[in-house]
Amino acid sequence: MTLWGVPLTPWLLALLLYGAGRRLGPLALGLSAGVALLLTLAVTGLSLNAGTAASYRWSEALTLGLERSMAGDIFAWLVPLVALPVTLYAAAHVGQAPRRLVALLLAFVGAMQLLVLASDLLTLLVAWELVGACSWGLILHRWQEEDIPSQAMQAFLVTRLGDLGLYIAAAALFAGTGGFGYDALGELSGGLLHVAVAGIVLAAAAKSAQLPFSAWLFAAMAGPVPASALLHSATMVAAGTFLLARLAPQLDQAAWFSPLVVFLGLATALIGGLVASCQGHAKRLLAASTSAQYGLMWVAVGAGFPGVALLHTVTHACFKAGLFLVAGLAERRVESYRLADMRLGRLLPGVASLSLVLCLALAGVAPLGAAWSKEQIASAAADVSTWLALGIAVAGGLSALYATRFQRLAFGRSQRQRSSGRPPAWEERIALAGLAFVTLMLSLLWWRPFSEAIAAFLGIVLPKEHAWLMVVSLILVALGIGVGLWATRTSAPEAKPAWQAVLAGWLGLPTLHQKVAGGVMRFAHSLARFDDCVFDAPATQLALGLRGTARGLARGDDRVVDAGLMIAARCWQWLADINARRGEWLVDGLPSALAQGAETGGRWARATQSGQTHHYYTTITVGLGAFILFLLIGAIL
Amino acid sequence: MLTVALFAPLLGALVLVATSRWSSAQARWIATGWSGVSLLALVMAWLAFDPSGALFQHVDEVQWVPSLGMAYRVGVDGIALAVATMSAVLFLAAIVYPFDTQGRARQYYAWLLFLHGVSLGVFLALDLLMFYVCFDLTLVGMYFLIGRWGHGEPQLAAFKFFLYTFAGSLALLLGIIALYLSLDSPTFDMRTIIEQQPLAGSGTYASLVFLAMMLGLAIKTPLVPVHTWLPQAHVDAPGPASAILAGVLLKMGTYGMIRLPLAMLGETFARFALPVALLALLAILYGALVALGQANLKRRIAYTSINHMGYTVLGIAVAASLAGGHDEARRLALTGATVEMVAHGLITGSLFLISGSLWQRTGDYAMARYGGLARRAPQLTALTVLAAFASLGMPGLAGFVAEFQVFTGTFAVYPWLAVLGVLGIVITAALFLDLLWRLFFGRLPEHLENFPDLNRAEIGVLGVLALGIVAIGVAPHFLLEVVEASASLLSGGR
Repeated sequence: MTLWGVPLTPWLLALLLYGAGRRLGPLALGLSAGVALLLTLAVTGLSLNAGTAASYRWSEALTLGLERSMAGDIFAWLVPLVALPVTLYAAAHVGQAPRRLVALLLAFVGAMQLLVLASDLLTLLVAWELVGACSWGLILHRWQEEDIPSQAMQAFLVTRLGDLGLYIAAAALFAGTGGFGYDALGELSGGLLHVAVAGIVLAAAAKSAQLPFSAWLFAAMAGPVPASALLHSATMVAAGTFLLARLAPQLDQAAWFSPLVVFLGLATALIGGLVASCQGHAKRLLAASTSAQYGLMWVAVGAGFPGVALLHTVTHACFKAGLFLVAGLAERRVESYRLADMRLGRLLPGVASLSLVLCLALAGVAPLGAAWSKEQIASAAADVSTWLALGIAVAGGLSALYATRFQRLAFGRSQRQRSSGRPPAWEERIALAGLAFVTLMLSLLWWRPFSEAIAAFLGIVLPKEHAWLMVVSLILVALGIGVGLWATRTSAPEAKPAWQAVLAGWLGLPTLHQKVAGGVMRFAHSLARFDDCVFDAPATQLALGLRGTARGLARGDDRVVDAGLMIAARCWQWLADINARRGEWLVDGLPSALAQGAETGGRWARATQSGQTHHYYTTITVGLGAFILFLLIGAIL
Repeated sequence: MLTVALFAPLLGALVLVATSRWSSAQARWIATGWSGVSLLALVMAWLAFDPSGALFQHVDEVQWVPSLGMAYRVGVDGIALAVATMSAVLFLAAIVYPFDTQGRARQYYAWLLFLHGVSLGVFLALDLLMFYVCFDLTLVGMYFLIGRWGHGEPQLAAFKFFLYTFAGSLALLLGIIALYLSLDSPTFDMRTIIEQQPLAGSGTYASLVFLAMMLGLAIKTPLVPVHTWLPQAHVDAPGPASAILAGVLLKMGTYGMIRLPLAMLGETFARFALPVALLALLAILYGALVALGQANLKRRIAYTSINHMGYTVLGIAVAASLAGGHDEARRLALTGATVEMVAHGLITGSLFLISGSLWQRTGDYAMARYGGLARRAPQLTALTVLAAFASLGMPGLAGFVAEFQVFTGTFAVYPWLAVLGVLGIVITAALFLDLLWRLFFGRLPEHLENFPDLNRAEIGVLGVLALGIVAIGVAPHFLLEVVEASASLLSGGR
């Protein structure tokens, strides 16, 4: 088994499932997807044990490479493990084309596995773009609806704009070292290093939905729930953070890397928290919260603790995937994602209690695992500055606020007894319960020997803990929960103040994106008109003109040349007539005139031969003069 | 072998012209056979090609006018071999692709075979005169294909196409004659000229020769601002002819740039490398933006050709720049440019064949009149999505292998051009996703309720092209090995 087996297995199984799964019902489809993922896990285990590196040669300059790393190993296990409940859920959840959705999810897993095992920027770029393409296909799932294709396109384009960073980084690395390997990043220096690091940060920020790219996640919400669950937890969005954590030592060579990452992360965590606190759309609330949570991980990377960021990715993946599944079940019940329409506590008591576990994890309430990893991030931030740690604590308070809002609005108690939608299927429940169970089990992280053993096993350095910070964090979490409860005390939706609406819409970021896109489109249209008028029109006119001229000439041919021929013919006719009338005179006249001339010449010639010497001398002088004159004229000419 | 590849289609054309008793289906099979023989000969040439051997291999030579240095000379390096084989594949695809010949099947296939033969002549020629003659004869073939089997205003389109590109050919001819006269012992043998580098170090004369050649080749490529013959010719041309026009004829411009100015006037090209690279950048960005602004399916694809040929020219210009210490980057750029030619041929060839199928079903290229076809025609959707993603440079497909190498090579020599040029791939992504959306997603209009999906022949042809696109994207070693050998001789070995 080589490392190539890790990405190839899910791809091949996806093809197989799509090709052969035509007749499978939802249950069979979910089970085969589950088997496929278990196979993937088995292959992952075997391959990771078998070797640490693998490569595949394209040409002298281009070689794709895979290599094991701590971050890569964590993700190589995490991705299929999260995908397992999500695909089971997907097969039962969507009514339309579940086979295509499940196959795409499997392909998505494969692309992500390639991404996390890549050992050079070329392989990374390949996987990076494939992940983007898969998510385009996933978001486009309900392609019949009018607005979905444009949303999928928006998500793809924003992330591709970030991908340009990787193109440029790879080119800069090649220009500096002649290779693409991650280890070569360490040899870069000067301007090329800055270009490479900037490119990588750009790509990571776009994928991880950090500011100013956060809004594409809202567009991505047009996709089906299972796609969002996988996208936000362990794949697409996680890729950016993974990359930073994986390459942190090399990227840190640029002095501005850490401050920039900390700044972007904290800004996204705080603003994202506010956005989520004002959102009334269940999935968008979760989407904004994703940006905010990844912002926290960015701060950890910037503070010099990439391992902590990875641990939070793991705990986040479990509860965030679960929360999306919850949102999907609530939507099936009321056929809307509006939180104000829900309060399904009585209708979905089981789902409500599972959701409560996940929401407590999101809120960062001890003793859940996610709370532990969030506290680790706060401690890591305290390593940089106290203010930063307080910022993290505030972001934590905000996540407690929106987690409370989500739980109470979605599953608060109300008088509602019946609804139009369908109850959850048992596959969906099992998938959700599995994720909630793992989230609960992660509470073990609070048990110090366990977490230290894990950190030692993975080679992760944990930050020093601060008691005061823990207290501040817990107070802020409690405060967040309190505000959240207060904000959701009434069930009737009130008219929101304007500032809340602005916040809920990512401070107008989506509008900004649309304006940019609209501007580009207008520019393209005017350029197209310009092209037609300025470059094309002369050529067309010339062709038309030449054709016109040719036709004119053809007509001219009739008139002029033909007419000329007629005239010539007439001329001959006329000449012939003349000849006929005056022919006698010409034929007779010419010979007699010649004869006469010859007679005169003869007489003149005879006269010169007079025998007198002075006559000869005169003739010779005149002749010589004429000859010299002739020569002179020739010389001048 | 190359002679077989060259003359089999011409012979086939003669056979079709000579007798008039074959039916339309028989004519198609005969054409397929002769075209297949040609492709087979090229594949055998490929298998026998030694990447570590001489620059030109499989050389055949027959003297014609020895006193003037004219001869029938054919031979290939890796670049010519790759482009010629791609062309043969595309010709075979265009011949097999179902097309309504309007009752003149014999003539249609004869013209296609004629064009096939002379196009290969351009790529296989090692004689300047033969190169030029074939270069011009392709215009004749294409003129009749557009004029007789086109739609819309085919006569005008064909006429404009012919005039515009013929003007370019004349500039090229001037350049060739001037180069020929500058030789000590005049010959049209490309190998000798490449070896002698006749105009190295001679200032204005060399520049004029270079500019004349580049003008001729730039019109053929086409580069902005001499590109406007292309969209019109495409819109009114029949689908398979469009595929040939974009897939094969445009390559003659860029292939010519590698064969003539880059190989023969290397030092002069180096002086002009930056302006040419800037023009290429203009073509990349301008072509992509104008394509985005088009509402007509074929015009949109046509303008993406300008964008993609811009990548190729950028790669060639980078390879020509003699900037010191970047040998590997320049080789990468030239390899990328060649792969772009092959990839663009296959990808845009498929896209034009697909638009031909759409025309035969609806008679319409306006994208606004389409929508939701994914429900009626899943096979068509799948194949178009693949081609579109390949064209926008998705890894795993052919376009990426080309564009990545071009950008990486360019960055080492002209960093700013690479940074600006890479923006082109976002615009291409936007325009292709938009195209897919308007054709296949959203609501299905009523008049398309009975839209038939692709038939078996169409799926077969497009499937083979798609297979090629995926093969180059996933395992490009077979192609890169052959191309890289010649690219390093041409860019680094001087």
